[in-house]
Amino acid sequence: MSLLGRRLPVATGILVAAGLVGAVVAPPDRIQGEYQRLMYVHVPTAWVAYLCFALTGVLSGLWLWRRGDRLDRAAAASAELGVLFTGLTIVLGSWWGKPVWGVWWTWDPRLVTTALIFFVYLGYLALRRGTLDTVERASRSAVLGIVALVQVPIVHMSVVWWRALHQPPTVLKPGDPTIDHRMLLVLLLNVAAFTAVAAMLLRARIRLSVLEEDLAASRAAEDRELAGGAVRAPRLEGR
Amino acid sequence: MVTALAPSPLRQAREVARAELRIEARGGEVLWIITPFGAVALLLVPMAVGPDRPLLAGIGMGMYWVVVLLFGVLVTLRQTASDSSGHLAMLRLAGVPAAARAAGRAAASAVVLLLFETLLLPVAIALYQPDLTGWTWLPVVMLLTAAGLAALGTLAGTLVHGFAGRSSLGPVLVCPLALPLLLGATETLQAVAYGRTPWLWLLVQITTSAIGWLALLLSANAVEESA
Repeated sequence: MSLLGRRLPVATGILVAAGLVGAVVAPPDRIQGEYQRLMYVHVPTAWVAYLCFALTGVLSGLWLWRRGDRLDRAAAASAELGVLFTGLTIVLGSWWGKPVWGVWWTWDPRLVTTALIFFVYLGYLALRRGTLDTVERASRSAVLGIVALVQVPIVHMSVVWWRALHQPPTVLKPGDPTIDHRMLLVLLLNVAAFTAVAAMLLRARIRLSVLEEDLAASRAAEDRELAGGAVRAPRLEGR
Repeated sequence: MVTALAPSPLRQAREVARAELRIEARGGEVLWIITPFGAVALLLVPMAVGPDRPLLAGIGMGMYWVVVLLFGVLVTLRQTASDSSGHLAMLRLAGVPAAARAAGRAAASAVVLLLFETLLLPVAIALYQPDLTGWTWLPVVMLLTAAGLAALGTLAGTLVHGFAGRSSLGPVLVCPLALPLLLGATETLQAVAYGRTPWLWLLVQITTSAIGWLALLLSANAVEESA
């Protein structure tokens, strides 16, 4: 079994290449100039992070309903990816913020809520690492996976609910997107590319989890055999 | 033959809460350990930022709520709120549903939290002398904060039960989720000070508390089954 598969990496490669070319040839922003091109990586990473957390929530709900190892494995893998992409979102946003806002970090509701969601899901991963029993781990993390999902709409709506430095939604909002349509096209292309990257990583992580579980099971079996070999049935003298 | 009727889940929850409060009253973990610790934290902040009276008055209520949030999580995760296996087995044998146990524990934590908030408030006022415009809203805010934090803390306590890093992981899970409670608490008095009605911020607190309680009650059985 290949970790990455065959067709998905090819499709992902094509999408990433197209997204990269689009990000280079798209017109620069009238005010921010070339710095605005960071949008083509910052927004897709944030989108993928939302998607991963939503997937974790849905799979957690399904686990509580149907109870399947595959659901738990996929929920955990999705949360790991969500944490990775949230971290990337914060770093890329900070990198964009320095030239545009003049600071690496500011006490903006969007920034703070994004940092908080990062820590909530770090807690989710810590909870999984610290719980050894598989059913207990799946059950506890499923509950947390659903509760933590409440934060996603809070992060998204934070720029609407509070006065913020961060710009309000330009695409995921009612009405026509308030963005140049060529820029929008490139942005959507990059969103598709990052989604494909996430799908590829998700599949690889799930397969890796299966291999880890198989390895753990085979080690446990070896341990049992060793113990079994060391123990002899009691025999009475003279028989 | 006389058949004894099983008490309603509400009554069971009330009895669990009463037992929890009795245990806390005997142990005094919150009164003698966590509350003084919170007061020490309030005392340390002015030493870190300097004895600038207007600055301290400005940040006073904010610091109070931060301490309530951080130390409030410790209140909900207190040792006396953790079931021993024998205690848990007894409650299960007695037929007390997981949701009733969780609700009782959260209700007891809410009462203890309210006491904790009440004890710390005069300390914060004395040390920081903050502007107390709109103080009449304070009891409502304290009640909602206690209710919400109790639900979230009890939920986290259930999830990290038996976990080696329980006292560290619990706050990591609760604090980010309790952010709307902190915002609601601080912004309510701010709104009143600026002559606005604080209903929106109270609604934020009510919604967060309701979500916390709902999650606690709905997840109780699932967490219980796997334990």
